[in-house]
Amino acid sequence: MKATSMILAVDRNHRNLELLSQFLGREGYQTRPAATLEEFDQALVEANDLGLALVDIAGFDRAIWERCEGLRHHKIPFLVISPKQSAAIQQASLTHGARGVLIKPLVVRELLGLIGSLLEEDADQGEAEG
Amino acid sequence: MTKAPPTRLPTGITGLDEILGGGLIPARAYLLRGGPGTGKTTVGLHFLTSGDPHVEKPLFITMGEPEAQIRKNAEAVGFDLEGVTFLDLSPSSAFFSEVQSYDIFAPAEVEREPTTQQIIAQVDMLKPQRVFLDAMTQFRYLASDTFQFRKQALSFLRFLIEQGATVLFTSEGSHEAPDDDLQFMADGVIHLDFAAEGRTLGVSKFRGSDFRSGLHAMKLSATGAEVFPRLLPESYQQEFVAEALPSGVPELDELLHGGFERGTISVISGPTGVGKTTLGLQFMKEAAGRGERSVVYTFEERIGTLLHRAEAVHIPVHAMMQRGTLSVVQVEPLQWTPDEFACLVRQEVERNGTRIIMLDSTTGYRLSLRSGDLVGHLHALCKYLQNMGVAVLLISEIEAITGEFRATEAGISYLADNIVFLRYIEVQGELRRAIGVLKKRLSSFEPTLREIEITRYGIKVGKPLTELRGILRGMPEWIDAPRSNGGRDEGHIYDPGRRP
Repeated sequence: MKATSMILAVDRNHRNLELLSQFLGREGYQTRPAATLEEFDQALVEANDLGLALVDIAGFDRAIWERCEGLRHHKIPFLVISPKQSAAIQQASLTHGARGVLIKPLVVRELLGLIGSLLEEDADQGEAEG
Repeated sequence: MTKAPPTRLPTGITGLDEILGGGLIPARAYLLRGGPGTGKTTVGLHFLTSGDPHVEKPLFITMGEPEAQIRKNAEAVGFDLEGVTFLDLSPSSAFFSEVQSYDIFAPAEVEREPTTQQIIAQVDMLKPQRVFLDAMTQFRYLASDTFQFRKQALSFLRFLIEQGATVLFTSEGSHEAPDDDLQFMADGVIHLDFAAEGRTLGVSKFRGSDFRSGLHAMKLSATGAEVFPRLLPESYQQEFVAEALPSGVPELDELLHGGFERGTISVISGPTGVGKTTLGLQFMKEAAGRGERSVVYTFEERIGTLLHRAEAVHIPVHAMMQRGTLSVVQVEPLQWTPDEFACLVRQEVERNGTRIIMLDSTTGYRLSLRSGDLVGHLHALCKYLQNMGVAVLLISEIEAITGEFRATEAGISYLADNIVFLRYIEVQGELRRAIGVLKKRLSSFEPTLREIEITRYGIKVGKPLTELRGILRGMPEWIDAPRSNGGRDEGHIYDPGRRP
């Protein structure tokens, strides 16, 4: 998988989506925003080009975990973004297949590093499988 | 070879320039700190509008108050912001809506870069020589930690200075968020405060220049900010001859061996209604005859009453005022701080060449002016007037009408070069008045007391009262063995026939 892979960004807050798209775009990543569960579902239907997902769970109900399972099903690695440090959220995230949990506010440099390594790892796996 | 003193950039406030020794040193950064409502923005507006806008291209960078509001408030105070460019970095109302608020990244990550880019673009384009930044502390939220903030603030100031700007930046320092770091990095620090006694301005740091220390009174009025530098008497000197200023009443001049000298402080003390003000005005009447100007600052009595009283005792105050040889200024209670009052007196002396100044009275001065250390302020003012060769008359009211003698009240005797006292005395059941001199630094004086009368023809002073004793107690007695002629028939106001 290439660094130009599409990143699915899930967030209730439009400004957050804008900022994610802006910061990731500067590094050459393309993002597909999803502000509702419907948009999330739609993105999963067209999941072929998705290399990674960032899921900000703030503002969503438990149904978000089902979509996370969907990501796992499609073998799309994803990070859960949480508004607070919580053992319960961390546990639920990992149970539903998340690679890690990030607490807001995110540090741009760290996020980019993490995305880079996840995509690279995914690409290596893909090559090995291929 | 001595270095030429640095050129100064006027701040737009005369009093502040005086405190700073002429103004700010250009191409440096100065911190203006103070709580809410202390006048930071007003001082900034003076700074931006004082130069030629076409040459200095002033720039106002606002992080809090929006441009439109600043312009509106400034116009209400009479500032012309026509030539001032604004860089408005304040949040718009849209930020409040969900569309604008975010929480995924820290503000430092999101806002810093666009803010910096906007500032750089504006400064590069305008090349301003005067920049006012309100408030630098907002940058604190754009830095991830205190180290980053310090580094960013320093490099930002350096960037502006390298572009040729003189920067005045404000801080909103509080106990919760101290601004000590900004004070360290600034080339000068100006503090504004708003206490119960009034507004004050003080300078605590000014790299490369001397400045006038202490707190100075500041006033925010309908025309902006005014600063009244604390009076430092030693910085004012004027050559003058310490000649005596006569009163024009021969007996009184005899008593004083000539009169009050220029550059001396004279206390005229006595109980209420005894004629202290009239006595002071008598010296002014004589000075007016020589064409010299005098000013009376009246703290208690209304101008109308004072003028009426003076005319009634043959002192032509109206004519004197018309000719400009007299001015009477009514000081309303709590109208001015001592620094403001001192500035007013200074203007009177330095612009109008006033030679005699009377403060009527020292008790009124104490009650009318807002401050803790009034004797200290009065001392400074009197010493300044002394250095300028002005004759100062301080009217001091003694509360007791009769009884044990007191020279003055309120602990001001130490200030006086001359002390003249007026007393009520009871002679044969009749209330009369006596005048005497207690102290005269520059000449000898008559040690005896004389009777004084205030009539519609003016002040009349009698011959020395050498035959009475116990005058200071207020209940004089005749000395048993009078001299051969006793002077009693030589023009005494006393009627010898009344002697027991």
